[in-house]
Amino acid sequence: MISPKLVEVGRHLNVNIITNSEIKSVEGEPGNFTVTLVNHPRYIDPVKCTGCGECAMHCPVTAVNSYNKGLDDRRATFIEYPQAVPLAFGIDTDTCIGCGLCENMCVAKAIRYDDTERESALTVGSIILAAGSQGYDPSKLDFLGYGKFANVVTSEEFERILSASGPYRGHLCRPLDREEPKKIAWLQCIGSRETNKCGNGYCSSVCCMYAVKEAMIAKEHAHGDLDCAIFNMDIRTFGKDYEKYYLRAKDKDGVRFIKSRVHTVVEIPETGDLTVRFVNEAGEILEETFSMVVLSVGLQVPETSKILAQQLGIELDKYSFVETDPFTPVSTSRKGVYTCGVFQGPKDIPGSITEASAAACAAGSDLAVARGTDTKVIEMPDQQDVTAETPRIGVFVCNCGINIGGVVNVPAVTEYAATLPFVAYTDQNLFTCSQDTQDKIKEKIIEHKLNRVVVASCSPKTHEQMFMETLEACGLNRYLFEMANIRNQNSWIHSKTPDIATQKAKDLVRMAVARSAMLKQLNEKVISVNKQALVIGGGVAGMNAALGLGKQGFQVALLEKDASLGGYSRMLHHTIEGGDIQKYLKDLIADVIAHDKIEVITGARVVDFSGYKGNFTTSVLVGPENKKRTIKHGIIIVATGAGEYTPKEYGFNQDPRVVTQVQLGDILEEKGAADLSSVVMIQCVGSRNEENENCSRICCQNAVKNALIIKKQNPEANVFVLYRDIRTYGLMEDFYKEARNLGVIFIRFEPENPPKVEPAAEGMMVTIKDHILQKNLEIRADLVTLSAGMVAEDTTELCGIMKFNRNPEGYFIEAHVKLRPVDMPGDGIFLCGTAHGPKLITEAIAQAQAAASRATTFLSKSEIKLSAITAQVDTEHCVKCLTCVRSCPFNVPVFNTEKQVIEIDEAICHGCGICAGVCPRQTIQLNYYEDDQILCKIDALLAGGM
Amino acid sequence: MIVAKRKPFNEIKSLLKDYKKVLNVGCGTCVAVCLAGGEKEVAVLNAELDMARKLEDNPVEMGAITVERQCDREYLEALDSLVNGYDALLSMACGAGIQFLAERYPEKPVLPAVDTTFIGVNQGVGWYEERCRSCSSCVLGLTGGICPVTMCAKGLYNGPCGGTNKGNCEIDKNQPCAWYMIYERLKAQNRLDCILEITPPSDWQNQIPRTVIQPGYKKPEKV
Repeated sequence: MISPKLVEVGRHLNVNIITNSEIKSVEGEPGNFTVTLVNHPRYIDPVKCTGCGECAMHCPVTAVNSYNKGLDDRRATFIEYPQAVPLAFGIDTDTCIGCGLCENMCVAKAIRYDDTERESALTVGSIILAAGSQGYDPSKLDFLGYGKFANVVTSEEFERILSASGPYRGHLCRPLDREEPKKIAWLQCIGSRETNKCGNGYCSSVCCMYAVKEAMIAKEHAHGDLDCAIFNMDIRTFGKDYEKYYLRAKDKDGVRFIKSRVHTVVEIPETGDLTVRFVNEAGEILEETFSMVVLSVGLQVPETSKILAQQLGIELDKYSFVETDPFTPVSTSRKGVYTCGVFQGPKDIPGSITEASAAACAAGSDLAVARGTDTKVIEMPDQQDVTAETPRIGVFVCNCGINIGGVVNVPAVTEYAATLPFVAYTDQNLFTCSQDTQDKIKEKIIEHKLNRVVVASCSPKTHEQMFMETLEACGLNRYLFEMANIRNQNSWIHSKTPDIATQKAKDLVRMAVARSAMLKQLNEKVISVNKQALVIGGGVAGMNAALGLGKQGFQVALLEKDASLGGYSRMLHHTIEGGDIQKYLKDLIADVIAHDKIEVITGARVVDFSGYKGNFTTSVLVGPENKKRTIKHGIIIVATGAGEYTPKEYGFNQDPRVVTQVQLGDILEEKGAADLSSVVMIQCVGSRNEENENCSRICCQNAVKNALIIKKQNPEANVFVLYRDIRTYGLMEDFYKEARNLGVIFIRFEPENPPKVEPAAEGMMVTIKDHILQKNLEIRADLVTLSAGMVAEDTTELCGIMKFNRNPEGYFIEAHVKLRPVDMPGDGIFLCGTAHGPKLITEAIAQAQAAASRATTFLSKSEIKLSAITAQVDTEHCVKCLTCVRSCPFNVPVFNTEKQVIEIDEAICHGCGICAGVCPRQTIQLNYYEDDQILCKIDALLAGGM
Repeated sequence: MIVAKRKPFNEIKSLLKDYKKVLNVGCGTCVAVCLAGGEKEVAVLNAELDMARKLEDNPVEMGAITVERQCDREYLEALDSLVNGYDALLSMACGAGIQFLAERYPEKPVLPAVDTTFIGVNQGVGWYEERCRSCSSCVLGLTGGICPVTMCAKGLYNGPCGGTNKGNCEIDKNQPCAWYMIYERLKAQNRLDCILEITPPSDWQNQIPRTVIQPGYKKPEKV
């Protein structure tokens, strides 16, 4: 999943990757920092190293593989993992014996035994700290037996065990005897929510979800019935749609969830099995035996990050996470220095990615005036038209050091290629991907008038773009290129049978040459980008997104359907940390209104919409007189928000003594807690039920926040929180602990047995079955507070016009839940705030900045080149059966009712090819992958005889 | 639309076993839209037959052509110059198209590759449901737009029968009772009087092929 991102960063012209280095000091001011780096020696020149791996293959030294968490070995010359960027090896001098073998073996002459530690300096305008986290080391918790019993592993180790590239190649085995486990226990909160032994009072936020995931994947990998049990205090699946996954694990896949913190783990020496001793909710001491125990270790800040923060003068909190303000979530205590990811606080992948974009927005805003002044651009010569020419194919066969050449007879393959139709030139290279070979290819293209190029080497995934650029650099259309993967799909697999490998290489080259002759030059359409942005929704998220863009110098139209800005936040008073929301909102609204780049349009209703990325047109009716306005814009940010659920439960709206948390917030703000003597709060009202399966994420902290206010103002008051799982994730766990310390009583209930609320002689009577006493408790309350969940704003009309996709709960769907959390599936459309899913104000701000940042990547370009790989319909033969319309995951094909034909707009086509595959009349072709261009490869393969 | 589904592969293979050169004729209208017999299905079936016959050491040469509609003689003209080169024709059109093809080339064996199934609607990609039995005497005006001939297991023109069971049919509890649905729809439209009208039963006996000549047209004396 992460590989394409790695490749993108690795190949990005304006991303300079400096690995194996640390910051020594940072001098200067925002806009002009001088960073002194310590560059540790790698002992292998990353520029010369091609990543062929020959050095590691011959290294005689065995070292512990820390990437696989010590579960297997590697060599002293090594690369952390096969997709690493840069794809260059290094030497671990702690274990290297200096035998010199690698230097002798390295064909690229990249080994530098005399490499030394150096210092270098960088000048930058902003700094982002994304130092990440490390898993908690459970060895000092001796009662768990980690380090003592082989079959007790951490969740990080288990993750590697499940991985296809891990120590057991994805086979589910336990370390002791490599037997497949029959029963696995996960123990939650190891190194989290625990101040006694490890001092990590916070919740690590991610362990519940990854434990459920690991259990589900382990069940998939297991050959028989695998029994999975997760021992937990609360299950915290609070992320978007996470609760549905948890329910699937619990109800469909039979993962057991046991509410208990395990007391001890003891090994049964004869079998290596482990006996887990724990107390159940009824207070009974139980024992259960498992074949394996996984410790769900928490996230913590590594020592090195603490030193880094110290050197930079950045303040950290008591757990060493970067100190940030609830309203400026990615700003550190030092101006011009930003942070994101787990260094900011425990969080999952989508949260980290969102924050990363937010930090980029903040860092970019500071530097907006200088945008584009220090970036590199490649100048390309004019393209020549070769359409009418007979194909003249150049074939370049790669030795890849001895990676290919050591197995495949490369000269024979090269000679063979010369005999194939239309081949005008052949050559072999030591490393086809090296810079000097690119120059050579260019030379040969010109010298031999080549109009097609085939490279027989490695994977197009990593190298195709580079070769295509080489073609462009000498005026040849980039789509006249084809690759044959004779390494990953050939020499690596058939290394023991060189003859067969050589034969297969010839087959692969013959196929590539056949396709190459069929390739057509394709023109990438260039469209201009309108630099104006449209933000829909004037709440905290929408305003922050507008400001983020305004500060970067882009004109923004901010639409708000109400008469004034502010959204739902107008109903809120304080964050759990004590941040004053109304003051913040007042300042924010003032900033937005005063900003010369932002035009606020209140009382606006979208009535018409058309266009595509870079060129949208939206019509709105404004104000009570419904004045029509048409706005042309290049991007859209959707921030329509959400509100509090109006309960149907527990007599809400019938009795004034039953209120929601937001209403309680108002009462506390106006009257304080002095006249409250007993308050009962009921969690999960309108969430985690049949109607709305998801968790609303914010209600637990809301209850804790209000409970704390009551207890602090009126310590005599009794506060009871009736809950199912308390989900005060991340640093909010401290507030939950504080509430318990102050005497707030938390009582857990099962959804099948919810509390009963009835009016009584004095106040209300709440009846609840206590899970420890197993008896009904009656609690008198003068106020019952319902922790009502969140409901998305009704956007049915908007979605009808703008064709945005929502999930069944009415929240907008992002392009990819993990990797693209603020992008919508349509290009140029972004998403932030509670329109995406329930979240806290701090999280909404970060997401708004992230959306602004993502939008900036679009708006900062004057024009965009569209991919030429799009689908084309032959309307003449199309029978309008609508199969393409119904099958396209991006809703691109449409039936044009005026022209009565199916149309596929190349500006929005993603080029996935699904429509071309399903078309029953074969009237849709995908450019660069036309039927002929694929079938000719099969014909070429079969022509060689099987 | 007429909905068809491809015959089981072994049945097609066995129909073709004695022929060495076969032209597979697709149809670009109904069967293309229901993903049973357009260009793509012709190509897929040909590839399957080609491979299967090679494995049996009895290779077959499969030709491919898809015409706009096999039920219009003008579109079949495109085949005239081709059929002589083949031992047999395989048709992926509906039963009407297959017969029309056989009628045009009486000397050639014309073999069906699909089973014509019903007249129906497209509920989603690859998902079709029957709606009409072409009974020649439409009562939809009286039945709230729900066809009792198609939807009722007995094809009753007047109903429901005694087998109606809490909204479902006596034959299967998952089969809704057509007349129950008709009742509900008419009730919602305040047209329950329609259900009281008696429709005479259709004469299903002695059925012969029907001919339709639209008003203003006549059958030419010579075709």
